[in-house]
Amino acid sequence: MSITLDQVTKRYQGSPVVNDVSLDVAEGEFFVLLGPSGSGKSTLLRAIAGLTGVDHGRITLHGHDVTHVSARQRGVGLVFQNYALFKHMTVGDNIEFALRVRRTKAADRRARRKELLRLVALEGMDDRLPTQLSGGQQQRVAVARALAHKPQVLLLDEPFGALDAKIREELRRTIRQVQRELNITTVLVTHDQEEAFAMADRIGVMNLGRLLEAGRPAELYATPATRFVATFLGAANLLLARQTAQGIRFGATPVNVRAVEKFDGAREHEVVAVLRPEEVELAPTRDNLRTNYIAHGAVEELVFTGAMERMRVRLNNGAAGAQIATASEAASGTALLEVTRTQHEQRGFPVTLGQSVAIGVRRIHVLPTPLSSYTSCGSDASAAEQLAQHAFLSELASRMKTRIATRVEPALATMTSDIATTPISGVAVVGASANAAAQIRWLLRNGAGEVLVLPADSTPPQRVLIHWADDESRRPTLAVAASLLRHVPAEAVYIGIMPEGVSDMQRPAGVRTLLDARSEAQAVHGLEMRTELRFGVAADELRRQLQDASDQMLILGVSSLDQLSGDFSSLLVPPPGCSLMVVYRPTDTPAGELRTAP
Amino acid sequence: MKSSFRQPSILPGFGLTLGFSTFFLCAIVLIPLAALVMKTATMGWQEFVKVLLDPRALASYRLSFGASMLAATLNSVFGFVIAWTLVRYEFPGRKFIDALIDMPFALPTAVSGIALTAVFAENGPIGQYLAPLGIKVAYTWIGIVVALTLIGLPFVVRSIQPALQEVQRDLEDAAETLGAGRFYIFRRIILPTVMPALLTGFTLAFARGVGEYGSVIFIAGNLPMKTEITPLLIVIQLEQFEYAKAAALGFVMLVMSFVMLMSINLLQAWGRRRIVAASR
Repeated sequence: MSITLDQVTKRYQGSPVVNDVSLDVAEGEFFVLLGPSGSGKSTLLRAIAGLTGVDHGRITLHGHDVTHVSARQRGVGLVFQNYALFKHMTVGDNIEFALRVRRTKAADRRARRKELLRLVALEGMDDRLPTQLSGGQQQRVAVARALAHKPQVLLLDEPFGALDAKIREELRRTIRQVQRELNITTVLVTHDQEEAFAMADRIGVMNLGRLLEAGRPAELYATPATRFVATFLGAANLLLARQTAQGIRFGATPVNVRAVEKFDGAREHEVVAVLRPEEVELAPTRDNLRTNYIAHGAVEELVFTGAMERMRVRLNNGAAGAQIATASEAASGTALLEVTRTQHEQRGFPVTLGQSVAIGVRRIHVLPTPLSSYTSCGSDASAAEQLAQHAFLSELASRMKTRIATRVEPALATMTSDIATTPISGVAVVGASANAAAQIRWLLRNGAGEVLVLPADSTPPQRVLIHWADDESRRPTLAVAASLLRHVPAEAVYIGIMPEGVSDMQRPAGVRTLLDARSEAQAVHGLEMRTELRFGVAADELRRQLQDASDQMLILGVSSLDQLSGDFSSLLVPPPGCSLMVVYRPTDTPAGELRTAP
Repeated sequence: MKSSFRQPSILPGFGLTLGFSTFFLCAIVLIPLAALVMKTATMGWQEFVKVLLDPRALASYRLSFGASMLAATLNSVFGFVIAWTLVRYEFPGRKFIDALIDMPFALPTAVSGIALTAVFAENGPIGQYLAPLGIKVAYTWIGIVVALTLIGLPFVVRSIQPALQEVQRDLEDAAETLGAGRFYIFRRIILPTVMPALLTGFTLAFARGVGEYGSVIFIAGNLPMKTEITPLLIVIQLEQFEYAKAAALGFVMLVMSFVMLMSINLLQAWGRRRIVAASR
């Protein structure tokens, strides 16, 4: 491996800007770090270059640990957005700078300079001053300068940001050519997904300091694992659907879309489906569709963009209300679907504004995330509404681009054993009241897979503690934690707890459990987390940990409701002062205890 | 043809503004200077040369220009350090120190002269520690340099500050990844970038030092041949109603200052040309 990052963390004023990033970049690979501004991608690049120290983790270049090696000694080439050329030196002197520092002989310097100028197609420009060159030429000089000392890796920090579209295209090609010719491992940082697609062998998408996913461009586009990657790489319609053993269903209309992903888990549940605009088929009637019908709609917006036609179609039945929209947009009740069509499709079925069309889907991708939407639950309407306005909950929902539904369940106050009329979908949210423990059990019994308990004054956490009651709940808890932590800039810590007074013989087993948990989190869920081993009674230990600092959150996984009323009752009564997420996946469902959807 | 000098401008009134500029400069600068030359011309060549080459006058030239040069040099070094600290670091009291830099601008020079004398006199708070070491500051040429350093400091700091702000962090980062050490980066990247501003600051501080009178007379002791600066000599001549002699000395200072400032400017222009010439 050319570049290996192992759990690299960089904090700025206490909060992590680069959060537990692990990554391998292969020899000669062109890797693109893609993310919005403030996602930590540039900080990570500077850390690789050695210009920024890291607070935790290791950086290895070609097998040498360089975590504590200065930028001077690291031997990387770095190219900046604003070129950072030495303006008082000629192009030739700029390129020779690294060689002069190394006291290379004049003849060798001249030869290397010539070679590099040829490489970036600037022959004969040696004696110009940077200010006499165009932006594109200046950036070529910067690339040549960064390569002069034969660096182990080439790092590019938004190198095309200051250039106009045409020059950009040309320079992209040059850089790709140079990179192939030298076979030099390269990391490019950008916020432009088109640029990432155009250049990358592999793309790593970053958000909120975390590396969410890394993979080949086509893979990431077709099968993203997270909603951020799905929406950041190209356009995507995010739809709430129900996954059943037969396939995917939208809203009330049973739609049999052949699910690409296998259906795992015993019961049907709410999922987030990604529908790319180009995978939508339009036809005058349902019978004309060649693909699976999902709904009817009306064309509301039509833009001709040359090769493609872009439109927005308002769904008027079936999947309406299924599209995940931000809280404000959800109020309209119906949903808009983004559609793009090729010239060929347009000729087959021309549409006009306002026309009613039947909508079919060619291909749909279900995100593996267990967190689909939120349902704010209260015993009366005002309580549910108020909870839906909770700052942390709103932030979570808007970051996840999902909706917060409200639901009134009088049973939450009376604690009668009433059964809900329809099963609760998504994450159930309740306030932290004195009988929260009983409410959690009631919600879990009525179809909720996760319950989020929010004290009125809780803030977004800095640290998320993770614990599960038994091995059965490990996997779902990790999945929920990974999904949540993609949207919260916090550190994840798994707390393993062994009973007090275990023999020394058993301790290695405890440590092994921790390591297994960590590697499973990383390998299966893409979640980087720290681990801590404690001794004592689980509920007491967790409560003690939560009382240590105010800005924490706990994710607790259980596989049976008895665990909540038994082992963890002292943790829930009274509920802890911080946010708490209970994850419940029953191993075997006793008859009558769990309702499935009709 | 007539309007070939005129550059198109959004502001009208080229004739008016040029006329005003000419009038203003004449009234404030040229006419008084011409009067100085005229007054000098009232004495004969022989007498003029005698006044000029008077040993007491020669000693004062050396002191005035030498001390100013030394003070400006000191200011260039320490002014650079101060400007660097203010631009590059964020620390409590930074704004306060920044404001403090301008104090010598605002203070009446006589006040700073008296204050320096009090501090550096043999029984003063600093002078008492320097005296046992054999260093006498007040009433020697060292005192003059100290006073001129104080007066010239803001010129240097204020000239360098904007230039230093322009030196992007990226430049240093780039040099560092290319393998350059700190001293190398300073010498090859930062200094060349700041050099023009540094020279400007030096020039201003030097010019100010040559013309300074108020603060120096208090700390200098004013011993003829030893600690007597040229401006003081002029005042002494004036007090004896020797107007022509005073004018002659003033004329000499004018010419020498002009020559030195001119040569620094030429040096700067030459430096710029050298960079451009290298690009051909």
